[in-house]
Amino acid sequence: MKPGELKLPYLFQPGQLGRFKIKNRIKYGACCVSNYNTRDGYITEREFARMRVIARTGCGMITNQGAYPDPLGEGKAYFRQVAIFDDKFLPQFERIAADIKEQGAMAIQQILHAGRYGGIDLGYCIQPSDVPQTLPHFRPPKVMTKAEIRDCIRQHAEAANRAIRAGFDGTEVTSFMGYLLANFNSRFTNQRSDEYGGSIENRGRFMRELIDGIKQATPDNPLVVRLNGAELMDKWGGNSEDECFELMRQAADAGVDMISVTVGWQEAPESSIGRDIPPGYWNYLSERAKKTCPDTVITFGNRLPDPRMADQCLRDGIFDFWEVCRPLLADPDLIHKAAEDRLDETRRCIGSLNCLSRLFRDLPYTCTMNPALGHEVEPEYQVTPATVKKKIMIIGAGPAGMECAITAAKRGHDVTVFDKAERVGGNLYAYAMNDLARPDDLLSVISHYEVVAKRLGIEIRLNTEVHAKFMRSVLHQYDVCVIAAGASADRSQYANMEGAELMVDALDVAHGRVAAGKRVVVVGGGKVGLAIAEALRKNQGAEVTVVERNKRIAGDVKPSFKWRHASWVEELGIPCLTSSRLVKVTKDSVTVRDGKGIETILPADTVIFADGAKPAHDLFHEFEWMVDELHGVGDAMIPRGLEQAIQEGFRLGVRL
Amino acid sequence: MSPLPDAVAWSAAAARHDALFAALTPGARIGLVAREAPTSMLLWEASDAGIHAREANYPGFFDCGADILLSADVEAMAAIHAAVDGQLFPLLRAGIRSGDIICYMLSRRCELEVQGFEDLLDALGFAFMGACR
Repeated sequence: MKPGELKLPYLFQPGQLGRFKIKNRIKYGACCVSNYNTRDGYITEREFARMRVIARTGCGMITNQGAYPDPLGEGKAYFRQVAIFDDKFLPQFERIAADIKEQGAMAIQQILHAGRYGGIDLGYCIQPSDVPQTLPHFRPPKVMTKAEIRDCIRQHAEAANRAIRAGFDGTEVTSFMGYLLANFNSRFTNQRSDEYGGSIENRGRFMRELIDGIKQATPDNPLVVRLNGAELMDKWGGNSEDECFELMRQAADAGVDMISVTVGWQEAPESSIGRDIPPGYWNYLSERAKKTCPDTVITFGNRLPDPRMADQCLRDGIFDFWEVCRPLLADPDLIHKAAEDRLDETRRCIGSLNCLSRLFRDLPYTCTMNPALGHEVEPEYQVTPATVKKKIMIIGAGPAGMECAITAAKRGHDVTVFDKAERVGGNLYAYAMNDLARPDDLLSVISHYEVVAKRLGIEIRLNTEVHAKFMRSVLHQYDVCVIAAGASADRSQYANMEGAELMVDALDVAHGRVAAGKRVVVVGGGKVGLAIAEALRKNQGAEVTVVERNKRIAGDVKPSFKWRHASWVEELGIPCLTSSRLVKVTKDSVTVRDGKGIETILPADTVIFADGAKPAHDLFHEFEWMVDELHGVGDAMIPRGLEQAIQEGFRLGVRL
Repeated sequence: MSPLPDAVAWSAAAARHDALFAALTPGARIGLVAREAPTSMLLWEASDAGIHAREANYPGFFDCGADILLSADVEAMAAIHAAVDGQLFPLLRAGIRSGDIICYMLSRRCELEVQGFEDLLDALGFAFMGACR
């Protein structure tokens, strides 16, 4: 056994599902449709390359992403979702099943009928009842007739049979997160008065018939059903947790082989998987599922990203298999690192939900933490040995610089990183220190860089500012210089404002270099300004007002997290003056002018500037004639965010 | 007695938040119903002359003529009554987030955008016209 397997004995012990022996207790969950495929349901080479990576994650059981089972596309939830409604798709599924099984894993094909969230190419979606949408991007509903229900069950059974004929070992149907099965199960969306609606027994009828239909079509192969332990829709008239578990009992009684316990609907008013939810928060649902369905195999993994936590849950009998997906998007080698006792090298999923944010904008999914995800088919994104070994200096130990450094070092380059700060991480560290959600997740990015840099032999010279004089002192020692020095505050818009010099820079406050007073005005309601405003309000009790010149705050915040800032600002009682600008700053006040030209004076001990940044372009001009190759990445080119810093650092690292 | 706020007060509430309604095209409608007894509906209706409120019969989701429909439970409706002369939109936003108010989209996203609902939906907490959670 490998050293990590001895430390995590429950995770790496063999398991069984039906007649299939499984090498460990890890199930790769089909958490995301990739949107890499063709508009008519065929799998692309991009997807095959991605699936080759998934097949090699080391999971004992691998679920291929959900395919829609109907030719009309009523079940289709994403523009480039895979289809499985016809035998013409068989060859592509054969290829994926073979690849998974070649790696010694059990292959499961998910069948995804999106119901209320489907019909993406149509003008409608199908549902049990006429319940309108609560999010504007979904399609208006059309009620299913009984004949259509029977047809839908037949399509699922045929799709399952097709998957088995393609070589998959089992199939999975999903209600996660508010798809057709959930629509029938839930009181919120099922208001039928026939035998498919009303009582919980009737609402569960579709599910039981679905299970029965698939089991009849594939009698020798296990069936997994993903069911909500909590819909988080109960306040809207959806199912209570008790009802969710009653439905699980029905599924178990109907003969399902494995239940995957999930949480939440897409439209639920509560967060379920974002980074504001602490890891392990939903474990109680899995524990209850085990008690409710003692003879059915239970798998679970919502907001449970750490193999050590999963091992403990298995030890405690909370579930039988750890279902994991997003952490493997961030780091496809997570399981191997766990087995080899190298978890300190893990690139952790930070729960930014970049993946889902992109899917809901009809884009292929990508990952903040894994720049190669979705580009596996492209040689340009492969970390290959460098043809010419170079000596590389990187200015800036933030995410862009460190990502570039470790990528270049993996290729065999000799890399030194310089930073004027006393620690690795750049402004990510400052942001993490002010983050109300999960600072630990953001700090994990920094510790990952520190550990990997050390193992790769990258020299990191902290407390070292690189300027023209320094460059002259190291002239001809380096072949390549990468400027990853980030950005600085751009106050040009306030250059002529009275009292502008009294403003302090947001990053100085965030890093702790400048202390804020009790009455604070933050200029700029973007992610930096909001993070500081929220932290000062919550952690120091300061009276904070945000002044934003645009008509909305959080303009540069990832869409999946905008609502979080909006709710924090409200909960903490931070006034946000939008469409407003500062016109004057004094030692104890600011004057703000709103969009109608009305001026207001606010008391302020500290005015924090967080309304614009300029890249470190000066360094490019200074160093241009001092080194053979000069490059820039991240905020040093265009100030943006963590995702772009990591992506650009990687992309430069693979081509140096 | 109607559980809904008075139409005059509802009209005045819209006037106090005129910036949110400014982009609405004539004919755009926002309905409010009591979740427990949805027999009547209070409408904000955009016209060339501005936003007006009126009470109307509520014939069900799809015949009510609203583009978006707010369905408030008993507690939320009481809170709306109390806030109708004050901070109504923060209350509606908080109610939607907590689940005490359901905001149904009865028109499609593209129609809502064309009808100028973006600012209003943003004020109700729908960042980017429906960000995931």
